[in-house]
Amino acid sequence: MTTAVATLNPPKSPGFWSEAWVRFRRHRLSTLALAYVTLLAVVAITAPAIVGTKPIICKFQGSIYFPALGYYNAGWENPVFRTAGVYPDYARELKNVDPDSWAVYPLVFQDPYHRIRKDERPGHPGNPWGVEGGPSLRNFFGTTNIGFDVFAQMVHGTQIAMSVGFVSMGIAAAIGIFVGALAGYFGGWTDMLLSRLIEVVMCIPTLVLILVLVAFLDNVTNWHLMAVIGCVRWTSIARLVRAEFIKLKEMEFVTAARAVGASPGRIMFRHMLRNALAPVLVPVSFGIASAILIEASLSFLGFGASPPNPSWGSLLQAGQNDIENMWWLIVFPGLAIFLTVLAFNLIGEGLQEATDPRLRQDSH
Amino acid sequence: MTSYILRRLGIGLLTLLLITCLIYGLLRAMPGSPISADQANVNPSKQISERALNQYKRLYGLDKPWYEAYGTWLGNLVQGDMGRSFKQNNRTVASLILEKLPATLALSVSSLLLTYLLSIPIGLWSTAHDGQPTERVVSVLLYMLYSLPAFVAALYLQLLFYVKLGWLPLYGLTSDDFERMSVFGKAWDLLWHATLPIVCFTYGTLAYYSRFVRANMQEVVRQDYIRTAKAKGVGPRRILWHHAFRNTLIPMVTLLGLTLPTLFSGAVILERIFVWPGIGNLFFESIRFHDYNVVMGLTLMFSVMTLAGQLLADVLYAVVDPRITYS
Repeated sequence: MTTAVATLNPPKSPGFWSEAWVRFRRHRLSTLALAYVTLLAVVAITAPAIVGTKPIICKFQGSIYFPALGYYNAGWENPVFRTAGVYPDYARELKNVDPDSWAVYPLVFQDPYHRIRKDERPGHPGNPWGVEGGPSLRNFFGTTNIGFDVFAQMVHGTQIAMSVGFVSMGIAAAIGIFVGALAGYFGGWTDMLLSRLIEVVMCIPTLVLILVLVAFLDNVTNWHLMAVIGCVRWTSIARLVRAEFIKLKEMEFVTAARAVGASPGRIMFRHMLRNALAPVLVPVSFGIASAILIEASLSFLGFGASPPNPSWGSLLQAGQNDIENMWWLIVFPGLAIFLTVLAFNLIGEGLQEATDPRLRQDSH
Repeated sequence: MTSYILRRLGIGLLTLLLITCLIYGLLRAMPGSPISADQANVNPSKQISERALNQYKRLYGLDKPWYEAYGTWLGNLVQGDMGRSFKQNNRTVASLILEKLPATLALSVSSLLLTYLLSIPIGLWSTAHDGQPTERVVSVLLYMLYSLPAFVAALYLQLLFYVKLGWLPLYGLTSDDFERMSVFGKAWDLLWHATLPIVCFTYGTLAYYSRFVRANMQEVVRQDYIRTAKAKGVGPRRILWHHAFRNTLIPMVTLLGLTLPTLFSGAVILERIFVWPGIGNLFFESIRFHDYNVVMGLTLMFSVMTLAGQLLADVLYAVVDPRITYS
């Protein structure tokens, strides 16, 4: 009897997302791109442990400290090092001040914010600069014209690229979903007004708006750039959500929800949104690519975050000024920008094919 | 149809009003003014007196609040006057734009022609050879080109063709001794300087269009009438060109409408890299120096082109495809 019941229980049918994941995996290039982006994210998060001159972990005067956290936020670096006169020369001064101390340094001893001087790490030569600073075993991707390590700047620049991409598209998705949902669900005058708003924002050249907004600020940080990019690039998401909502609001489950007395807010964001989410991921992925590109272009034009800003775009700008001698300032950052943009575009493409219901029949 | 166009024009005018109002407000709210941006650059001894400053402000309407100044700007615009530049010797905005337009058009028009000339054959070729290894390679290459940012490509090409090979100039429109050249020499010199900018302008859209043509063709070749044509013995070339390609022209028309704005706006970054005296460069400089009237004139031009392009695309769509009606 019990076995009969067990066999009668049908196997759980795969959900929408797990099915989409299977279809996404079939797209080999997109899967590769996803792996690359995951790697970049890991590099971005662990950048201070990969390249830096501050110990990841050290024992100093009887306590354990994590000075490398200072790369994320200057306030996270314990002030005890400043008062003891160790900061910023950990490698040389730590042992001098406290002979019993020990420290674990990042994988590569270089710094994105200063030139490594001679004997900064005892027994090691200083960084070359200018034309002399080509790629070498000590400076994988060469150095800038003032001797900063390009590899260190690029690893720390990954943080900027990834955070700009994700945060700005997070903002854009929030605005776009909200505006699109309202316009699509209510229709009529609301739709008319919101559609005009979308059209106005679309028609303004992105660069004008960004340059004008950036000009307001004395000290531009990457957070400002993210906010500005997010406030400009939401239109395609809004249009898509609007179209989806117009389609969805005629469905039975919406009528049912309304019949049981759910409020418009609940219907929109609890019942309809999750059905419109898959198509939204596609423009978000393409949007991340374009946000990274916009940040790089702004830094390249000199309108990016104020220095010190180890962004890929600023490196390219330095490379353009010295194009006749320092090719490494162009080749490596350019490649990083290209590969990252390509990866997000490929992921978008894969998502499109994986979540498009028109293509779903073929896979069965 | 006429009422549809009229309604669209009305909405378009309203949109233009909103955009210009927004940008004007933002520009005037920007810290610093054309005068202070100027003073920052000249030496202190050249600073103008308080009286001259006020006179200057009155002359350009900077003493009034922004909405009043916007009203004046709008009134002048209706009379066909876009105002004068603060920076460039008090010249009219229209004459500045007209002066820079040819350089931008030379790039964008030749790039558009190249794109159409090349993308259609590439798209048709990849449809005909669908699934073959060479086609797969070409398709992946096109996708990579599409994702390659133009300014990265520009720097790479400069590295290769100027620094390494020394075949092409780094930047500029003409050589120093341009004035003394013969007519043929001048044409050659211009082409020589324009090669890299045109390549950088073209490759991205070329990749996009080729993929677009191919995607449309793939949809069309699955249709029944293609099978019918095949069944009655029409050759593969004739099927592709005569039966399939004609039906992919409809989406191509929309694309033409959407390229209209890019034709005139140029590209700020590419024109900066190649020091090309076009619209993009003018735009960049005028924002940097708070040259309000020029920024407004250019923004107006970009917005008009964008809206006109969208309208053109929609109207052409209905013209080419009789199944589409606007009511």
